[in-house]
Formats: sequence, structure tokens, C-alpha cells
Amino acid sequence: MLTYTVKRVLQMIPVFIGVTLILFILRAPGVLPGDPVRMIVGERAISDALRQQIIEKHALDEPLIVQYRLYVTNLLQGDLGESYQRGRPVRDIFAEKFPNTIRLALAAIIIEAIIGIGAGIISAVKRYSFGDVFVTLSTSILVSVPVFWLGMLFQIFFGIKMKEWTGGAFYLPMSQMSSADFPDWAHLILPAITLASVSTAYVARIMRSQMLEVQNQDYIRTAEAKGLSRRQVIVRHALKNALIPVVTFIGIDLGVMMGGAILTETVFSWPGVGREIFLAVGQRDWPIVMGGVIVIVFLVMIINLIVDLSYALLDPRIRYGGGSR
Amino acid sequence: MTHLLHVEDLATHFTTRDGTVKAVDGMSFTLEPGETLGVVGESGSGKSVTALSIMRLVQPPQGRIVGGRILFKGADIVAMTDTQVRELRGDRIAMIFQDPMTSLNPVYRVGHQIGESLILHKGMKRREAFERTVELLDMVGISRPRERAKDYPHQFSGGMRQRAMIAMALACDPDILIADEPTTALDVTIQAQILELMMEMQERTGAAIIMITHDLGVVADMADRVMVMYAGRQVEYGTAEDVFYRPKHPYTWGLLASLPRHDVDEKGVLNPISGQPPSLIHVPAGCAFHPRCPHARAVCREQTPGLVDVGGGHVSACLFVDVSDVGRDVAPASGEAM
Amino acid sequence: MSARPGSRGTRRSDGPVDAGGHEVKTEATTLPTLPGDAHAVQPGSSRTLWGDAWSRLRKNTLAIAGLVWIILVLLMTISADLWVPPFFGDPLAVDTTPGASLQSPSLEHPFGTDRLGRDVLSRVVYGARVSLAVGVLAVSISLGIGLVAGALAGYRGGLVDTLVMRTADVFFAFPYILFAIALIAVLGPSYRNVFIAIGILGWPGIARVFRSSILSVKENEYVDAARAMGASDLRIMFRHVMPNAIAPIIVYGTMSVGGAIITEAALSFLGMGVQPPTPSWGLMLSDARALMFVAPWLTIWPGVAILATVLAFVLLGDGFRDALDVKMKD
Repeated sequence: MLTYTVKRVLQMIPVFIGVTLILFILRAPGVLPGDPVRMIVGERAISDALRQQIIEKHALDEPLIVQYRLYVTNLLQGDLGESYQRGRPVRDIFAEKFPNTIRLALAAIIIEAIIGIGAGIISAVKRYSFGDVFVTLSTSILVSVPVFWLGMLFQIFFGIKMKEWTGGAFYLPMSQMSSADFPDWAHLILPAITLASVSTAYVARIMRSQMLEVQNQDYIRTAEAKGLSRRQVIVRHALKNALIPVVTFIGIDLGVMMGGAILTETVFSWPGVGREIFLAVGQRDWPIVMGGVIVIVFLVMIINLIVDLSYALLDPRIRYGGGSR
Repeated sequence: MTHLLHVEDLATHFTTRDGTVKAVDGMSFTLEPGETLGVVGESGSGKSVTALSIMRLVQPPQGRIVGGRILFKGADIVAMTDTQVRELRGDRIAMIFQDPMTSLNPVYRVGHQIGESLILHKGMKRREAFERTVELLDMVGISRPRERAKDYPHQFSGGMRQRAMIAMALACDPDILIADEPTTALDVTIQAQILELMMEMQERTGAAIIMITHDLGVVADMADRVMVMYAGRQVEYGTAEDVFYRPKHPYTWGLLASLPRHDVDEKGVLNPISGQPPSLIHVPAGCAFHPRCPHARAVCREQTPGLVDVGGGHVSACLFVDVSDVGRDVAPASGEAM
Repeated sequence: MSARPGSRGTRRSDGPVDAGGHEVKTEATTLPTLPGDAHAVQPGSSRTLWGDAWSRLRKNTLAIAGLVWIILVLLMTISADLWVPPFFGDPLAVDTTPGASLQSPSLEHPFGTDRLGRDVLSRVVYGARVSLAVGVLAVSISLGIGLVAGALAGYRGGLVDTLVMRTADVFFAFPYILFAIALIAVLGPSYRNVFIAIGILGWPGIARVFRSSILSVKENEYVDAARAMGASDLRIMFRHVMPNAIAPIIVYGTMSVGGAIITEAALSFLGMGVQPPTPSWGLMLSDARALMFVAPWLTIWPGVAILATVLAFVLLGDGFRDALDVKMKD
């Protein structure tokens, strides 16, 4: 397990270098048509003095390798740059928004795991039943739905129409800002369901195909031959094997969601990291956008590492190194 | 008189998109306590399906036992409720599968998987089941059984896994042990060890064994009786001696003749059976073997042969079973062959 | 790829296709000894791989529905200039007369009009042009880079392989939509840069799929046989490996077009994609968002258009996968 952990951490190094390299290239002069100063201060007119100051600060007149070293050193020290438009360090801006994003991500992941896994199991166990057909059809529709549109439909239906039809007796809050007549958690309902929607469909599909796959494995027949009931076979022998890839998917998805669901947060005006990035895009405040990308990439990498390590807990073949299968 | 196992006219069919596969079609045999029955045939001849039918492990909706009876100590397994069958499975009738690499659940410890039967059927506590598991692993020849019980399957070699499977099957002291090609996936050197272990276990536990194989050599060493299957039907059935020394069916002759022989000085010519096993959806009319039979005559294409008793319970399904001199020339000088 | 004799239950041999036809892997009956080649010995099965695949695809109602929808959208967009402006109005024609804007659906404007009095139906039809163009162009770029990279990695192996796959890993480390935003932030938001960005982001997926199918084809004996007969590397590559490795690419590529369409819509929705006044479904939804209370109908049709078109590509991709008997890991 220790060897595996060390190996897995070491594997992150080239990816780290690659990621920083790409992000660096995106703002390096001459590589791409963009003006590096523009990428650092955002799109607004600046004085020549400030311009010179920025060139010096980021060593923009030095060779690329020097710039890159400076860039990585700053990153490792947690310096994400500064939003010149807001006059605040990017790090502080994100630190403020992260709790909201995490709340939303956790709510969504819970929905995704419970409904996705449940639907997948039902669908696989009761194959060809009405439930199975319903799950397969609705998941293929769901994976084709643009989330932001789904969010808008929810808002129109539960926020506007529901209120009209029930004369204001029942409806759901359309966004964090919309009203104070709701308990805090109620604001989470629509954004969380929206954010979870597409992933839930994927989880259900993966779970279903995994269950069907696992049910054809020889060891399932062995378990049946032992005299276990169908239920025992599914719960004790099929589930754990089928869950391994699903858990991986959910874990990685959690990483992506923690990174700020830019579309969902935008639609619901949810004051998280994603919406912050969206606003920055609108204001052409590139330091926030790039800083956001960096934070999120690292977050995703770390969560992926955790997922991989916990994957090893589930699958002894990895934990004990080199299985033959 | 009640037999340990009496299979009568068993038929198991599978529904596929291309048609109905008659995997087993009219199969009868008996098994007595402590006896070993060898079931021989090419792949697709219905051997494994026979085994799975006895365990009632054929999966609906595609697969179904459509006819016949399987009497275990007089009780018909085909007619049993699911609960009744489950009480037999793993307890009275146990099974070993072909591929030990995939037959153990990768995410559970080997000991846990063996102990599961004991907890289920013998009502043992976890601790007690573990102790018994260690004994069983020791019995099947796994060294340091106490530590190895805590290993995961991937830490076992192929041969060890098959030993573990045997331990699992024998855990509840079954009356019948069905072994479906238990050595096919193993290295040749390991094969002999596993067979030896099975015979040793049989002596110790007195279980009857149904040994399914395509390898006549395996059967010759172990079996009291032999059943030869072709295209889902039995074509010959009798004591090992009868089938090996006095084979009555051209297909059995073919099988025996295709064996490489070690007792002949010169490099013997192998005599494979020509042609392919038939599709079980479009089984040839008449005798299913006729397209490949060197002695087939016109009548073989039209008339389906029934099982004919050629003496002392030795049966054969060939229209010319009485004309015992047909094709004698290609049958191996059977006596010496074994 | 087609019915390999003896392979455990290819899709055709087990029960009816489920509604969505969705398994990634096959479900065999639980019996290892079923005659797996039962259908291989069927009389009259001498068709080619592609002919065989087509006849299977034809039986897949959902995939055909997807194909028909794609062709329909294609025909509609190609012929749009002939029928859309005369009947419903120009998609760019701003009408500032009072009462012309935000009309609810009527006979004259079946989908209503937007904030600037432009006909929504007309914009939805023209929006398909943008979506399909971005989808196809982006995937072409991904294919261009991905196939070369995947072929090099899979066929050459060694250092090249490591290099390509590690680069792909780096790309996978980025959250997709954010990476696209970052790229466009540098390139500048425009119609052209949208498909370039999506195209660049798509290559690692293609490369991975292609590499692994090349590796599995390379294992086959006929490749060894060709090599033993002295065929050159390039010849082996083009004659033997490529044709057999291409099936998963067809599946993956088809689904990628759907993915590209949805990404374009998302980017345009966020203001990082196609710029106004060009009609794009994502952009239309972005406009509709501010008008949700007054004109909820503006939200419906662009979204339905995205859903239907993306779904069509997903279903067609699913159909290809089943027809070509491609086994893909998610």
C-alpha cells in the first residue's frame, strides 16, 4: 500500500509540470497571439508605468525559462496573482467563494450517488422490466441535456410556474439571491439537482453495465453454486465488484464539482467559484480566470489521488500490487 | 431402490435470437454413492449444461430445463422450489469450475469465501468457520493454511486456487461433487496433482464425483462409469471398462482413435475426427453424428437412433450397434490402447 | 470484430436489444460452453464486416432515428436560405417597431420573437448551422491530431508512447470547460476560436481510443503473419492495423460531435463562444435567461434543439458501437 501511494504521488509530478507548462505557455509572449501583459492585468487600459512594473514583476523581458521558474515558484508559494480590476489577490477571492461551492458539490454528489447507484442496480437486476427501460431511456436523454438549460427549465417550472399555479403557496427558490423566505438548505435543492443530473445518468449507466458484466463472471456462479440466494449473491458478491469503477467515477466527479460548476452556478447565481470565474470572463479579468483554472486543476489532481488511493482499499488486487487479472 | 442421483430424460434448451439451442436433449444416467462418472465430449456437446442443470444453475429466461427429472435421493430437483434447491447447492451437491483464475471473487479473502458455505449451511460462527477453513486448506495441500486463508485470490497460483475451490466444494461434506473440466485451465504438471487430490479426497469423504472433461485420459484414470456426449445427446454410456475396451459407437471410436498413443513405437498417425461439431440450433436430422461418421449410410440421415442396451447396462445410440463388425478396422485395437 | 467464433456470446446471441442498447460490454449467457459459433456457421453469412454492420445498424430503431434527425437538420440548414426568411423572417432582422419584440408564439412566429423582434424559429434553424459546423470542424481537428498521436503511440511504443500518453494525461487533468475557457481567453472569443479550442481539447480522447485499439489489433496473429512475410511497417500499418482499429474511432468520433455541440452551446452561453448577432443556440439561451419571467418560451426551443441534436449523435454512436461490436471502456 505504501509503495502504491508513493508511486502514485510520484506519478503526479510529470502531470504537475505539464499542467503548469501549459498554463504558462498560455500567457507567454510570442507563443500565442495574446499579449502577456493583457493576460496578467485583464482587458483594461493601463498606464505605461504600470505596464513596465508588471513586466518587471513577472520577468517578462527575461528568457522563458526564467519566467517559468518564477511562475512555478510563485504558484508553489500559493501566489495566484492579483486581480488588477478588483485590486485584490486572486487567492483571497477564491478562499471566500469556496465554502459555497463545496456545499453545492457535496449536496450534488449525495444525490448522484444515491439515485445513480440505485437506478443502476434496479435496472440491471430487473432487466427488461419497465423500470429498466425507463432508466435506460431517461439516462440517454439526460446525458444529452445541456445542464444550463435544464437549470433554466427547473427555474421556470418550480420557481415561476409553480408559484403562479399554486398562488404562491408552493414554489422553490430560483437562486441564492432570490428570496429570504426560505431556509438556507432550500436554496440548494434546484442547483444541486441540476448539477447532479448529468452525472447521475452516467453513474446509473456505469452501474448498470457493471452489474450486468459482473453477473456474468465466473465467481458469481461459484457463489450461486454455494447455495447463496440471489439477493445474497447480488449484495455480497456482485455489488462490491461492480461498485469499484462507479466509486472511481463519483470520486473524480466530486473533484470536478468542487472545482466550481461554472454552468450551474451561473444559472442559479450561486456565489461560488464557478460563478466568480464566469463574472471574471465577462469583465475580461483574466487573472481570476487563470488563477481559478490553476486552483481547480490542483484540486482535481489531489482528489483524483485520494480516489485512487481509496480505490486500492476497495480492490485488493491493487493494494497488494500486481494482480494477474 | 433409490439412487443417489438419477437423471431421466433431461432436456435443457436455450433461447437465442438465432433459434432454440438444444444444449441437452434426452439425457439419462444414474450415480451411486462413492462412484465416479466421467462425462466426455467435445466443447458444445452439452457436458457443462448437464452439470449446471443438476445444480439448477441454468439461467432463465434464456436457459430452461424443459423436460425430464433429476432425482437426488428420490427428490426431483427440477420440481423443487428455489429455497429447496439452495439448500442442496454447496451442501449436498457441490461444484468445481473450469477456470480457477476467475471462479474466486477477487475482492474477498480466500478463507472468507470458503467459510461462507460453512456459515450458510452448517450455521457456524465466523470463528468456527475460519478454523474449519484452515483445516480444509491444509487437507487440500496448501502450506501455511492459516496465513494463506487471509490471502486474496490473486495472491494464489492457478493450482492453489483450484485447490482452494476443491476445499470450498468439500467444505460441507457433499454427497456429490461435480467437477467441470477442473484441470483444463491448468498447467500440465499441475493437472495431475489436482486429479490426484480429487481422488484422495473422494477416498476420504466418500463423495460421488461427476467428472466432466474432454480429456479421455482423465476419465480413464478416475471413472467407474463413462458417458459420451455428442450434440446434446448421450451416444454411449457404460462402465469405464465397457466404453474403453468395447466401445460401440463410431463417435467413441473416433475419440479413442484421436488420442495420441504412447505405447506404439513408431510415430503413430493421429486420427482426428473430421469435420466440426454441429450447430445445436440446426442439429443434423437422423443421427446427429452422421455427417462426420465414416460409416454413415443413407438410413442414418433419416432415422434417429435410440439407446440400445448392448449388455449389462452398456448402451449406445447407433443404428448399427448390433452389426458390431462395422468399421472395426478403424476402432483402435482398444484393449492395448489403455 | 464481427462474430468471432467461440467468443463468449456476442451481442447478437443473447436476448433482445434493450431499449437504449446501452451496455458497454456484452452480456453473455452464463454458460461458457454454449456453442458460441452457432451463428458463425449460419448459411449465407458471407457478407463483409461493413455490410454486416450496416444490416445490424438498420435494425436499431433508435440509431436510425438519430441518423434521420441528423440528416433532416443537415437538409434544413443547407436549404434554410430558400424557405426560412420568406416565411419566418431573417434571423438577423431587428424589428424595432413597438410590439414586435418578445411576441409569444403565434402563427406568424411559431416560436415567438426575441428581445430585438427577431423570429426565434428562424434563429433556431440558423443556429443549427453554427452547431453542426462547430461540431464537425472541432471533431475533425481532434481526429487530425488524435489519430496521428494515437497511431504513433500505439505503433511505435516506447518513448513516443510515453510522451504522447503523458501529454494526454496532462490534458485530462484539466476540467474540460474551464480549459476551453482558458484557451479562448487567450485566443479571443470568436466562432473560429471556439471550434479550434474544442478541437484541441478533444485530441487526447481520440488518441487514447485509437492507441488502445491499435495495440489490441497488433496482438492479432495476422499482423504477425504479415510481418513474417516481410511486409514493411507502413504497409502493415495501413493495410492491416488501421482498417481494423478504426471501428472504435467511428463510435467515439460520432459521440464527440454531440459533445462538441453541447460544449459550443455552453461556451456561447457563458459569453466565451460565438458572438452576437450570429444565431447560436447557446447564445439564445443566454439571452433568454434574463427574460425568463417575461418570455419563458424563449428558453424552450433552443434547448430542445440542442437536446435533440446531441441525443441524435449519442444514439447513432451507440448504434455504431453495437453494430460494429466495439467494446469500449467508459
